[in-house]
Amino acid sequence: MSYQENKTITSIVSGIILMSVYAINAWGKFQAGAAPAEAGQIWAALMLKFIALGIGVSIALQILFHILYSVVVAAREKMRDENCGDEVIEKTIKQEMVEDERDKLIELKSLRAGFVLAGIGFVTALIYLALGYPVAVMLNILFFSFFAGSILEGAVQLFYYRRGV
Amino acid sequence: MAQKLKIENNIRKLRFFADEMTQQTLAEKAGVSRQTIIAMEAGKYSPSLELAFRVARVFGVSLGEVFTCEGEEPAD
Repeated sequence: MSYQENKTITSIVSGIILMSVYAINAWGKFQAGAAPAEAGQIWAALMLKFIALGIGVSIALQILFHILYSVVVAAREKMRDENCGDEVIEKTIKQEMVEDERDKLIELKSLRAGFVLAGIGFVTALIYLALGYPVAVMLNILFFSFFAGSILEGAVQLFYYRRGV
Repeated sequence: MAQKLKIENNIRKLRFFADEMTQQTLAEKAGVSRQTIIAMEAGKYSPSLELAFRVARVFGVSLGEVFTCEGEEPAD
């Protein structure tokens, strides 16, 4: 599996973890009555907290992934040739992480799929609001559709890497 | 809408005639990842015109000798 595919899987996993943690947290707060459906301010604050947490977790996971990937590549090179120097390992790592026109094309195509889902979520959220549902429903639909959009983006990316563009 | 053309390539053959050049070496010379070369060889990715020229330049041949359309003979 290539570096790009592994990176995509890492971002999908971090997205799923965050979405699950948010769902558990939000449901718990709602059940306990700490976040009533009409209290838009509480929900907005909770979502903002999770957006900040999401950015932090994604950055941390990507850094961790880079370190682990470099270690794996170095170990693989050492197993292939015990006498290979640091320069060879460094060069191999750099080559594995090259991002070219194919990666950019796949990124653009998957981004489009993600935006479509987020857009559908936005319209659905507006419909719910127009139908008189509480603001928390609208905010949660919006929030989940953006999360789902980013997960779909990763899935589409993997699909194009496997099937070809 | 125009029918999509199937682009074929002779990269594997050209690598063979270039002293069995590795995909990694070709990737380095063309400035792309090895995965892109693998995808191109397998016909899973049609490169941009620029990359196509770069690949042809690595082998020192014309574009027509590297890429052909389905049913077309490679240029000499």
